[in-house]
Order: sequence, then C-alpha cells, then structure tokens
Amino acid sequence: MAQVKLFGMLKTLVAGVNVLDMPLSDGAQVKDLVDALHVQYPGLGELLHQKKVVVSVNQEIAHWETALADSDEIALLPPFAGGA
Amino acid sequence: MAVETEEGRLVRVQLGNFSIDEELERVRARSTKIGGISMFLGTARDHSKGHDVSSMTFEHYEGMAQKKLKEIRERALQDFDIIEALVLHRHGPIEIGENIVLIIVGAQHRADAFQACQWCIDELKKITPIWKMEYTPQGDVWVEEHP
Repeated sequence: MAQVKLFGMLKTLVAGVNVLDMPLSDGAQVKDLVDALHVQYPGLGELLHQKKVVVSVNQEIAHWETALADSDEIALLPPFAGGA
Repeated sequence: MAVETEEGRLVRVQLGNFSIDEELERVRARSTKIGGISMFLGTARDHSKGHDVSSMTFEHYEGMAQKKLKEIRERALQDFDIIEALVLHRHGPIEIGENIVLIIVGAQHRADAFQACQWCIDELKKITPIWKMEYTPQGDVWVEEHP
C-alpha cells in the first residue's frame, strides 16, 4: 500500500484528507496510479489526466512511466502559487 | 539535531516573519567583492482578481519546497555573474501587508544582481511546491496562478 500526499485544493476533492492509501501492483507506474485514482475520485482523476495536477515521486516531478514502489514518497501537486 | 550551516540559512521556508535588515546583512557579509545588492520583497495584498482578500495561508510541501529553493539558488549562482543569493518564503497564516517572500542577490555589478533577482522570483513561482489560500468575503479560495 502506498501513501499519496495531497496538497492545496486537492484535499477538497477527497473529503478533506491529506493522505490517501492506494494499493500498488508489482511493476506499477504512475499512469496505473492515476487510473486507479480516477476510478475512486473522478474529479481528481480528471485534473491528473489534463496534467493540471502533476505527480511527484521522492520529491521530483514524475512522468507517467515512472515506476512506483510502496516505499516511494508520492504526492499530487496542484498548480503552484508561491510568491506574492 | 542537525547544525544549520550559514549556507542553509540562505534558503529557508519558515513560519514566522523575517528581518530584511538581518537577511541583507547575511548576503552582504558573504563577500567584500559585492558591489551591488538587488532585492525582491513580496507582500500580502488586500485584493486579488477583482475580489477583496482579508488574509491568506501558504501551504508548502516540506522537504521538496526547500529542495527547489536550494536548486534555484544554486542555478542562479551558476548561470549569472553573481556572488550570493538568498531565497526565503514563509508558510502558514499571513495577514495583509505582511512579508511573504524575499530574494536578495549580491553581485559585483547591478545589472547581474537585477537579472538574477528577477529570475529567482520567476523560477520560484514556477517550480516551488507552495500553495496559497485566500480568505475572501465570498469564501476561502485556493489560488491557481500557474495552471
């Protein structure tokens, strides 16, 4: 089971939680996680598919083919809004 | 507890306010070759996209945000003819008028300091995982400035 961190407005799409537990199959890639999230949380899945939300793995922006393991630090990042 | 290096103090995401004088001195003290210092200070304004804003909160991705600010400093030092760069961003609740973000760049000459300073804040907004919630009369709004 992998833990997926959520930030910013994404928490409003999943009932206010900031971490989701998602099962990962052997050899899973980011695109598999995105597909699984789309099934459970269609609103979130839509933003991921539109690339409005990106996935980071171990604190680096990931690609859809990036391999995933349960021990990875996975996060979903909505558009950044730092600065003033 | 890890001892924080002076270099580490040049890149921070912190809850409380910062002293501009102290941070300016931190950069100035890095080298006597510095002859020009450029600064960008971002502050909290009371309106945004046509609506009033009463206050705001910044959320950051602990670890990754610091990593990206460090990258920005290192790339600025590599790509511009500058001597030092400091990049700070606050998180947590911030009232109108308060400081949010501070970039200070020291160089031998002003042109390089100005250019690097602008690049740092532009890059910060592009690559740093920080999010802003604004409190408005119409409700709380997560800001999306870089879709």
